[in-house]
Amino acid sequence: MSFFSLVGMEFKKIRRSKIIWVLLLPVILLWIPPVLNADINFTMQTEGISPENNFFIQSFMGFSWFMFPAGMVICTVMLNQTERSNKGILKMLALPVSPAKLALAKFFVLLALAAVQMAFMAALYFPSAAAASSLQDYDFMLSPLEIIRETVVIYLASIPMASVFWLLAVCIETPVFSVGIGLASIVPSVLMLNTKAWFLYPMTYPFFLVTSKMHELASNMGEFTVDIVPWVWAAAIITILCLAGACFRFGQAERR
Amino acid sequence: MSIAMECRKLKRTGFLPAVLGVGLLSAMIPVVNMAVRTELYVGRQEPPLQILMEANWQMMAMLNIFLIILAACVLYHTEFADNAVQKMDTLPLNPGSIFISKAIILAAAAAILTVLESAGFAACIFKWFGLPEGCWLELAKNMGYSLAFTLPAVILMLAIGSACRNMWISLGIGVAGLFVVIIIPPDMLAKSGLYMFPFALPFQLIWDADGPGALNLLYAAGAEVLIFVGAEALYLKVRRYFV
Repeated sequence: MSFFSLVGMEFKKIRRSKIIWVLLLPVILLWIPPVLNADINFTMQTEGISPENNFFIQSFMGFSWFMFPAGMVICTVMLNQTERSNKGILKMLALPVSPAKLALAKFFVLLALAAVQMAFMAALYFPSAAAASSLQDYDFMLSPLEIIRETVVIYLASIPMASVFWLLAVCIETPVFSVGIGLASIVPSVLMLNTKAWFLYPMTYPFFLVTSKMHELASNMGEFTVDIVPWVWAAAIITILCLAGACFRFGQAERR
Repeated sequence: MSIAMECRKLKRTGFLPAVLGVGLLSAMIPVVNMAVRTELYVGRQEPPLQILMEANWQMMAMLNIFLIILAACVLYHTEFADNAVQKMDTLPLNPGSIFISKAIILAAAAAILTVLESAGFAACIFKWFGLPEGCWLELAKNMGYSLAFTLPAVILMLAIGSACRNMWISLGIGVAGLFVVIIIPPDMLAKSGLYMFPFALPFQLIWDADGPGALNLLYAAGAEVLIFVGAEALYLKVRRYFV
């Protein structure tokens, strides 16, 4: 069975899961307070960031710190539970399909759902910025190219994190622990941000990028640059190790 | 009898280790924070507990609510996983009493968290502030309030969990609710009255000068508990006709 038909099958399985609404609802809720509170952006002179940049970066910061990782954890719960309810996984493992391929197909679905959420986040920026502009009589709109570029960068930076969450979901069968560790790992990402070893902690990558972007846009906040060299290597190694682990472990508990 | 049965159901879900783990983690936060940044906190004017809670409570409350959300999902996930809930419905058992037992268990879990966190605070006060007069009373009062403030979230999350067959839906609703509270700026929370939202209440500290006053919050929490219990009772009545 080809990888693509496996992925297509996985999408069919989640068709009636309503997961899309669970992912999209927080994004809609996220944009309401910044639009209503857009006048806050005019009080950021001490940081030296322009109101329109602040409007953009604050919302993306909250999103990439908390909701984006949490959304991924919720997706892993869904991917796992659809398979485990009614023992679907046993039937899947009885088919002539390699479990590793199956694990990768599910990981691909996880990435696709994250992409949908991220794209929705970026798409909602435009009506929100337009609404805030008309409320405050000030142009909050940034160029679409910049928004798209930033969105893609944040998304790519979140792939190692997704692989860690997927490894957790595959290896730890008790949902309390896999979800609990996933959610609890989001809380300290603010602390990890300021340490030298931040690149060893994938949950902080998207947040780190947004923070560094904010420091770039704000003239008075000082330097906060991304060191590409150790980071890319660490990210690649973490991703490969986690995916390999997930492929190896997938279905092993059931096959015992 | 019902509570004992609910406890038995939780045996292999990892409920108790998760509660203890989160409680210990959360109790560690003020201790580690004090140990690392002692000079920032020692020698201030405020009472020690206020210093500690203002510095650490945001994170601790967040961990608490995460645990409550997750634990509520798991408490009802055990019912839905293999259609156990249908079997329960055929037994001479009131689904309302199952809900109440689960609520008592979850509230007890919240109490365990509170006790562990109090121990963390007490250790900090003992080590760095040398036990000033009346600090035990202050600690007991504050932690009592914060336990009361988490109860609306306990009931609301359980009600959501009982309504959603799929764990990811209830988990998603809970996390989205918490997320909304986190992203709304504090002054907007205070102005709009949204601080009474069940997921926002546990973050409230009782000595906020411009805050709404601890007693009012307590009344709000009590009212919310009653409303959510009532809503759940209504839901259980209605559900019989559909499921």
